[in-house]
Amino acid sequence: MSSDVRFTDFKSDKQPTWCPGCGDFGTMNGMMKALANTGNDPDNTFVVAGIGCSGKIGTYMHSYALHGVHGRALPVGTGVKMARPDLEVMVAGGDGDGYSIGAGHFVHAVRRNVDMSYVVMDNRIYGLTKGQASPTSRSDFETSTTPEGPKQPPVNPLALALASGASFIAQSFASDALRHEEIVQEAIEHDGFGFVNVFSPCVTFNDVDTYDYFRDSLVDLQEEDHDPNDYEAAKKVILDSEKEYQGVMYQDENSVPYHEQHGVTEDMSDIPDGAPDGAMDLVREFY
Amino acid sequence: MAEDLNWAIGGEAGDGIDSTGKIFAQALSRAGRHVFTSKDFASRIRGGYTAYKIRTSVDQVQSVVDRLDILVALTQRTIDENLDELHDGSAIIYDGERSWEAEIPEEMTAVDVPLKSLAEDAGGAIMRNIVALGAACEITGFDVEYLDEALEKRFGGKGSKIVENNKEAARLGQEYVQENYDLDHLGYDVETTDNDYVLLNGNEAIGMGAIAAGCRFYAGYPITPATSIMEYLTGRIEDYGGHVVQAEDELSAINMALGAARSGARAMTATSGAGIDLMTETFGLVATSETPLVITDVQRSGPSTGMPTKQEQGDLNMALYGGHGEVPRFVVAPTSITECFWKTIEAFNYAEKYQTPVFLVSDLAMSVTEQTFPPEAFDMDDVEIDRGKLVGEDDVDEWLDEQGRFRAHAVTDDGISPRAIPGTTDGAHMSTGLEHDELGRRTEEEDERVQQVDKRNRKVETARNEEDWEYREFGDPDADNLVISWGSNEGALVEALEYLEDDGIDVRVISVPYLFPRPDLSEEIDAADETIVVECNANGQFADVIEHDVLTRVKRINKYTGVRFKADELADAITSKLSEEVPA
Ligand SMILES: Cc1ncc(C[n+]2csc(CCOP(=O)(O)OP(=O)(O)O)c2C)c(N)n1
Ligand code: SF4
Repeated sequence: MSSDVRFTDFKSDKQPTWCPGCGDFGTMNGMMKALANTGNDPDNTFVVAGIGCSGKIGTYMHSYALHGVHGRALPVGTGVKMARPDLEVMVAGGDGDGYSIGAGHFVHAVRRNVDMSYVVMDNRIYGLTKGQASPTSRSDFETSTTPEGPKQPPVNPLALALASGASFIAQSFASDALRHEEIVQEAIEHDGFGFVNVFSPCVTFNDVDTYDYFRDSLVDLQEEDHDPNDYEAAKKVILDSEKEYQGVMYQDENSVPYHEQHGVTEDMSDIPDGAPDGAMDLVREFY
Repeated sequence: MAEDLNWAIGGEAGDGIDSTGKIFAQALSRAGRHVFTSKDFASRIRGGYTAYKIRTSVDQVQSVVDRLDILVALTQRTIDENLDELHDGSAIIYDGERSWEAEIPEEMTAVDVPLKSLAEDAGGAIMRNIVALGAACEITGFDVEYLDEALEKRFGGKGSKIVENNKEAARLGQEYVQENYDLDHLGYDVETTDNDYVLLNGNEAIGMGAIAAGCRFYAGYPITPATSIMEYLTGRIEDYGGHVVQAEDELSAINMALGAARSGARAMTATSGAGIDLMTETFGLVATSETPLVITDVQRSGPSTGMPTKQEQGDLNMALYGGHGEVPRFVVAPTSITECFWKTIEAFNYAEKYQTPVFLVSDLAMSVTEQTFPPEAFDMDDVEIDRGKLVGEDDVDEWLDEQGRFRAHAVTDDGISPRAIPGTTDGAHMSTGLEHDELGRRTEEEDERVQQVDKRNRKVETARNEEDWEYREFGDPDADNLVISWGSNEGALVEALEYLEDDGIDVRVISVPYLFPRPDLSEEIDAADETIVVECNANGQFADVIEHDVLTRVKRINKYTGVRFKADELADAITSKLSEEVPA
C-alpha cells in the first residue's frame, strides 16, 4: 500500500458507455475515493462486479477485478476474501443483479459477514436489458414487461439485510457526492460485511425515481440524531415506508467478521513446491 | 486367483450397517489382507434396505463378484435381496430371538446368534453388530485380535470403556458360535500377512489428492455422492492452511471457488448431477476468464434427480460439451482409487499450467468403494506442483503494454498468457466473461474476438503436444480383441481378463483416464479385429466419441441398471459380444 495513492489511480482509461447523467458515474467516483481514502491501491484491491449497467463498473475502474455472471458477484467476492484476507474486496452490482437473481446469495453473504463491502446501484429498473421491472420497482411502475406495474410490493433490501443478520446497513445517493463517499468509506472500514444500497438514478428508463425525487424526499440520518448502534432505531427507519433515508442505518459494534470466527487468516495463494510437510500423515490415517 | 471370501452385513438404514462393515474391512486390512468393499442401497422393494459388502483376499481384489459366503442378516429382506448371490456353502448369521422368523434356504448354514442379548451382556444392545462380527471371525477362523485393533481405531476417541465393551461383545459372539456350532465343514481359513495396507475410497483419495496438490479452498453444496469429498476436507484442510465453505447452492460454490482461484489459491468444488447443471453458466466464465479451477463431478444416475444413490457414467457429454458457446476445458477421469489421488493432483497442475477449468470426472461406484493399497501407492514425495506462468514483481514488466497496463490475456504462441495474482505490483487487471482484448476489457472487434478464441483453443493444442495423454493397459497387448473403458470399470475388467483367459479368450484392455484431450486410439483400434467399448450408461457416450475420432464402428457394452459392472458378468458380456456382428 502506498500513501500517495490518488483516487484517479483507481480509474481505468476506458471511457464509460453509461448514458450521460447516469447515477452510476457518481456512485463509482465515490467508491474510488473511498478506496483511496482508506489507504488502498489498485494492486491490493479486488473489485467484483455483477451484470448490468452497474456491473460495468469493474471495466471503468482499475484494480484486480472480475466481472462475473449475473447475480453471482457476492460468492466470488467471498472466495477472494477467504483465499486472500490481505486484500480489500469490494463487490458492486445492480438491484436486479443483487436482489433478484442474486437474492439467495445476498442473504447468505450477509449472514456470513465476510469482511468486504457491497455496493448496490439501485435504480429500481433493469437498465442494461432496456427497462424492465426490477425487484425494487414500485408496484405501480409501468415498464415494458409490466405495462400495469408489477402489482407486487418491492423488495426492501435494507430490511432483507437486517432480517438476515447484517452487521452494517447503509444507504446513500449517488449525487450527494460527499455523503455517498463517506458512507462507502464507513462500509469499507466496517469489520464485516458492509452493505450500501445506493440510489443511482437511471435517466433513460426510470422517470419516477429521479434525481429530483431523491433530492426532494431523502432524509439524512445524520440530521436526525440517529444512533446506528441502536438496533430498534435501525429497525424503525428501515421499516419506515413513508420516508427514504440516507446514512448508516445500522452497525453492529460487536461484529466479528467471518475470518475471525473461522480462523481463516492465511494467504492461500502461497503453496509449497510439492506436497505440504507432513502430508504422509494423511495417508497413514487410513491404516 | 487366490481363494477370496465374500462377506456382507445388511439391514435397515440406521442399523449401523456402514460403520460395522467398515470396522470389519479395517480389521481385514490390518491383517494384511486385501479388501474391496461395495455398498448396496437397493430400491427394489421399498426404501430403507442397505448393505455393506466386503470381498477380501490375500491377492489384490478390485471388483465385486456374484457370490456371498457369509451374510450377517439383520432383517429378512437382507436374505431375500441377496438370494442370487448366496450359495449352498453360505453361512447366514442372524438373531433368532428377534421377532422375525428367519427364512433361510435349507442348503445354507443358519447361524442363530442372540446378537441383542449378548450385546446387552457386554454393556448395551447397540453393540449387536459387533457381536455378529465376533461370530463372523469364529466362522472364518479369523483372529479376533485384528478386530480389536479396528475397534480401538473406531471407538478410541470415545474412551477405553467403550472400546473394552465392544471387544467384549465381539468375544461373546465368537464364543457363542464356538460353543454352539461346529462349522469346520465350511472350511474357511482366512490367511493373514505382514503387509501394511491403507483402506480408503475414491472420494477420500480425491480429497487427499487435493490437499497434496496444495488446494487450500473448497466450496461445495451437499449432494450424493460428492458430499464425502467435502466431509473429508472439512477438519483436515485447515491443518494445511485451508478452508472449506458449505455454500448456499452450487452456483455460489463454483463462484466462490472461482474467486479464490483468481486470487491465486488452488481451489476446487465438487458436485454431482443437478449440481453440475447449475455450475454450467459459471463454467463458461471460468474458461473465458482463464481461471485455473478444478471442478469435480462424481457422477450418479441421471437425468434430473434420477437415481441419486446409483452408479452411472452418464455425464461424459456434459463434461465434454456442456456450456453455451465454445470453450476449451480439460476432462480427466480417474480409473481407480489410486488414480483418484494422482489425477486430482494432475488436474490442479493442468488447471494452473493451462489456465483452464478442469473437470475431474469420477463416479458413484468409485466414491463409495473402499479398497486396500500399500501406502506407497500415495507417496507424497512423488507429488509435483506446476503453477504455470505465474508472474511476479521481477517479470511482470515483460507483460506490460506501452501504457504500463498488464496484458492478462496476452496473445501468445502457446495460447497461455501470463498470470498475475492480486498483490503483484503493476499486475492489476480486469477479467470478464465478456469477450475481451489482451487487457481483459470488453471487445466486439472481429480481430480481437478471433484472436482470443484461437488463443484459448491453442492451449489445447499446446497441451496435446506437451503432455502424455496416455492410457492404462491390461491383458495381452497383441490380442485381436480390444476392450476400451473409462472410469471405475477398470477393476472389474482387469479381473474379467482372468475369467476370459480361463476360457481361452485373449483380450487387450485399454482404460482411458484422459477424456479431453484424449489419446488417439486409431492405431490400437486398427490393429484389433474387434473393439468393444464398455461403460455404465445407456447410449454409449464414450463409444460415440471413439467412433467420431477413428471413423470406425465399435461394439458396445452398456450397463445402466444403477449397479456397477461385476467381473464375472463382464467376462460373459464380452464373450457374447465377440460373437455378434459388428454394427453396420
Ligand atoms: C443468467 C442471465 N439472465 C439474464 C441476463 C440478462 N441481464 C443482463 S443485465 C440484467 C438486469 C440488470 O439489472 P440491474 O441489476 O438492476 O442492473 P442495471 O442494468 O439496472 O444497472 C439482465 C436480466 C444475463 N446476463 N444472465
Ligand atoms: S440505461 Fe440507465 S442505468 Fe444504464 S447507463 Fe443508461 S442511465 Fe445508466
